[in-house]
Amino acid sequence: MDGTWLLLSVPAVLGFYMAWNIGANDVANSMGCAVGSKSITIRNAVIAAAICEFLGAVFVGAHVTDTIRKGIVRPEAVGIAVKEAGDPTEQNAAEAQPAGRPPLTPSAVKLAIGMTCSLLAAAIWLHVASYFGMPVSTTHAIIGAVTGFGLLAFGVDAINWAKMGEIVASWFLSPILGGVIAFVLFKLMVGTILGSQTPARAAIQFAPFLSFVVGFVMTLSILWKGLQHLLQEHRESLPDWLTGDAACLAISAGAGLLAFIGSRAYLRRHLTGHSASSTADQLELVERRFAPLVVITSCCVAFSHGANDVANSVGPLAAVVDIVNTGEVQSQVPVPMWVLSLGGIGIVIGLATYGYRVMATVGEKITALTPSRGIAADTAATIVVLACSRMGLPVSTTHTLVGSILGVGLARGLAGIDLTVTRNIFGGWLITVPIAAILSAVLYLIAMALFV
Amino acid sequence: MWAATGGLVAIRRFESGTDMSLIQQVFGSSPFHPLVEHASKVDECVQLLNPLIEAAVTDDHDELLRLHDQVSKLEYEADQIKHRIREQLPRRFFLPVSREDLDRFLHCQDNIADGVEDFAVILLIRKTHVHEKLVPGFREIVDQVLQVASTMYQASTALIELAETSFEGAESTRILELISNLGEEEWKSDRLQRKLSQKVYDMESELDPVTISFYEKMQRALGQIADAAENTGDMLRAMIVKG
Repeated sequence: MDGTWLLLSVPAVLGFYMAWNIGANDVANSMGCAVGSKSITIRNAVIAAAICEFLGAVFVGAHVTDTIRKGIVRPEAVGIAVKEAGDPTEQNAAEAQPAGRPPLTPSAVKLAIGMTCSLLAAAIWLHVASYFGMPVSTTHAIIGAVTGFGLLAFGVDAINWAKMGEIVASWFLSPILGGVIAFVLFKLMVGTILGSQTPARAAIQFAPFLSFVVGFVMTLSILWKGLQHLLQEHRESLPDWLTGDAACLAISAGAGLLAFIGSRAYLRRHLTGHSASSTADQLELVERRFAPLVVITSCCVAFSHGANDVANSVGPLAAVVDIVNTGEVQSQVPVPMWVLSLGGIGIVIGLATYGYRVMATVGEKITALTPSRGIAADTAATIVVLACSRMGLPVSTTHTLVGSILGVGLARGLAGIDLTVTRNIFGGWLITVPIAAILSAVLYLIAMALFV
Repeated sequence: MWAATGGLVAIRRFESGTDMSLIQQVFGSSPFHPLVEHASKVDECVQLLNPLIEAAVTDDHDELLRLHDQVSKLEYEADQIKHRIREQLPRRFFLPVSREDLDRFLHCQDNIADGVEDFAVILLIRKTHVHEKLVPGFREIVDQVLQVASTMYQASTALIELAETSFEGAESTRILELISNLGEEEWKSDRLQRKLSQKVYDMESELDPVTISFYEKMQRALGQIADAAENTGDMLRAMIVKG
């Protein structure tokens, strides 16, 4: 058993475990709106969640992973720290490596061990927090942990504080933005469709625009981030116009248009001739025809959840893999597909083992949700999460979704929203980062004392 | 190995029910379905007004006894629903309507049922014969009260649709229109009461004073029902308009 094997397998197991944990406990949130509004059976929700989360993790994951690997702890600062230190352990570390792999520089060893400790610290904190019933985010725990060891290992200067500030700001901004967008979306839905004299006719007229937005956002997110990650490798063989932003926008608009036309035909077929029914009957009909859309938007949330949270949980693993393969801290290396797949598989297994039970209780508990609410909240959350991860800001999907749901509530769309949840989330925000940071710093000290 | 122990903790986390799903924790139960349920119970009470007055007119005391039992059972059930609604609305719940308005709405709606029970009790405690000259007057009042209360019931049952349209748009306009003339209808029932009172005092030489006093009580109880229905409408309006 050589060192490389240990160096890779421990973070791999931890990364897998984090993904498993997300699958078991958090995935239900992403499909919550579809399940809660009874638009999809539990069994199908589990299958849809598994597929979307996996695809999101594998296709879009790379962007966010980069932030965790390189955004918070600045690689150049790490490099400088090494040169100045001139560590005598450099020779030993190099000798310990098996043939075929490049030797590890001391800073690379530090980073590899540190990232492993970050994973461990985040995992421990997630356990403690969930034991006390605190809704903390995997993302926040990882960020805090990476920062903690980075501070200790490379000093205050190694931390990219501007990036850290951006990230922290985005945690507050993402639920608020989600809330604002959901509020506006829902108000628009009430103004045009639900509050109309003849909701059935209004739905045929206006709901296709909603489909357009959903189709556009969904396609854009896949193209812009997910596929581009794949296209990167084949960039030379593809014409420029295909990978440019304009092309992405055009294709997304096309997809949106397709959704527009498709949903218009669908609603025409099912809602025509009901304008004479009572308002209550029409409302029920319209909500029922919204069900397919809420399933799609929930899949969007699952997709972006996979993109974000899974990537976050395996981010440190990607860093370690990178270090072991190259022997040093690189700044431009794509995340290996197998790392993202590991995260994706972890989430699917988590979902298959326990997540489905959580999903079932969500379906039973949420009764106040109708598809229209779900669409507003889901669409808002998808827009915010994908925009944030596009900018490389790791946000919590669940928290953004909660913000969006509160936005619908503020628009008088939901009865009986429990505000203690927001308080708990806020508490989790305040303590998760420092605690994960301290924990990973302590673990890092222990690991360095034991192994180096 | 770590994954295995982690798995165990996560299982416990699930089974203890402390966490599971954040989204699930966000949602409390909606008060609007039970509010409509409460409205239906109250309406069942109100629908006994006609049988009650008929039993009184025909001096059918056994029937009155039976009807009173029925009314007080329904009133009790309405009370139970009322308490349940209040219990499930802790302060931390965020509602699409003002909590105070909702509470007062519930209170007023409950008063309708209380009024019916009062009426039943008044008929029960003394075998007051309704003079045949006064029977049409009483029937008129009961009809008018029934109309006010039924209109209110119609409006209350729309609460679910109102919540579905976030208290805006066509549905809210329809309900506001429906309850807009509750005040006028209530005033009509007041006027009918005055007319009946005049009739009663015109005949005061033929009637004994205790009977007169009981006629007054009967009218007041009926008036209370219409009054409560009107107030319920006001609270519903406040809920729709203010949010």
